[in-house]
Amino acid sequence: MKILLKAFLLTAPINFVYAAEGQKSAGLPQMDIATFPSQLFWLVITFSLLYLFMWKFVIPRLGATIEERRDKISNDINDADNLNTEATDILKKYDEQMASASQESNEIITNSKKAMLDHLETLKKENEEKVNSLISESQSKIKAQEEKSKIEIRNATLDTVKAIVSRYIENIPSDEEINKRLN
Amino acid sequence: MAADNPIDPIHQFEISKIADIQLGGIDISFTNSSLFMVFALAATMALFVIGLSKKSIIPNRMQMLSELSYNFIANMLRDQVGDQGRAYFPFIFSLFMFIFFCNFIGLIPYTFTVTSHLIVTFAFAGLIFIAVTIIGFVKNGLGYLRIFYPSGIPIFLAPLIVPIEIISYLSKPISLSVRLCANMLAGHSILKIFAGFIVMLGFLGFAPLVFLVVLYALETLIAALQAYIFTILTCIYLNDALHPDH
Repeated sequence: MKILLKAFLLTAPINFVYAAEGQKSAGLPQMDIATFPSQLFWLVITFSLLYLFMWKFVIPRLGATIEERRDKISNDINDADNLNTEATDILKKYDEQMASASQESNEIITNSKKAMLDHLETLKKENEEKVNSLISESQSKIKAQEEKSKIEIRNATLDTVKAIVSRYIENIPSDEEINKRLN
Repeated sequence: MAADNPIDPIHQFEISKIADIQLGGIDISFTNSSLFMVFALAATMALFVIGLSKKSIIPNRMQMLSELSYNFIANMLRDQVGDQGRAYFPFIFSLFMFIFFCNFIGLIPYTFTVTSHLIVTFAFAGLIFIAVTIIGFVKNGLGYLRIFYPSGIPIFLAPLIVPIEIISYLSKPISLSVRLCANMLAGHSILKIFAGFIVMLGFLGFAPLVFLVVLYALETLIAALQAYIFTILTCIYLNDALHPDH
């Protein structure tokens, strides 16, 4: 490619001379200055039109569309973030409620257990007291009975002794004497 | 000579009048070159008119294409120049689309490549050069002259560096215009030469045909690449004018 270009550039001055003389150039058409005004004129016209088209039509519209899309995307991302935060909050609240509910239920269970145990305890105590009082009552009854029986036995013995003694001797000993001897 | 040789590779660059127009003694005839400038303009307009006919948040293919080109140039300008470059976006965008379509339409057989003429590319490069120089002096005043003496260079090197910088600055429009024009000229000439070989070699012509297909793919790449290079260099020159210290 470079060799070709070199060849073109070397022949350039010759072509230039041909062109200047108004002849049909045999060399590079690029060097034909007679075509320059036309090329420049139409280049200015077409490129100016393109520039105006780009400047006034394409760039504002494309820019707006791209901006709009960027806004929409960032808005959507914001919305998603907000929803995410909301969901996290709800989950947190739910967890908290669950925790407090379980705590409450635990409390209730503990309380009722305690109440139950207390009740049982009091019942037990009451019953024990009753039983104890019954026992002591019966014991005192038994004791009284024993005492009574003892006295009765003694009296009976006394009477028996008296009767036996009176059969054999005339002098009947007094009760005190007999008691003394019996002990 | 050009007319009697049907496979003359230069024939495709010849300018022929379609409508003879004279204005004050100056020949401004409507030529095949002008016609293909109009085609490039029409192609760009068609792309954006169709692409923008149904504006929607979720774009269809044509809208996608127009938005892609918009974003491509907008990003290029932002990366190279920054936010100050926004004012020049319509020009840069038009420049890219025009050169891009001129290059691509020229790849179609029997068409004319507008950008293969040095005067066209030099018109663009010259306009850019003059505009960039004016912008540089308007934005920076005489401080714009600093671009000829980069900071951090010892003072005794100034007599060497400054002339080099001035020459390189003045050669910018030439290198810019010749690069695009030469690429189009050389590429299209070689395509034409190999197409001629196919005809000349008869049934053996499949060898240059294979080569031509590969070359055509390469030329397609070059057509896009040169439009890109022309545009990005314009952005770089603009950046130099806006920020001469960098």
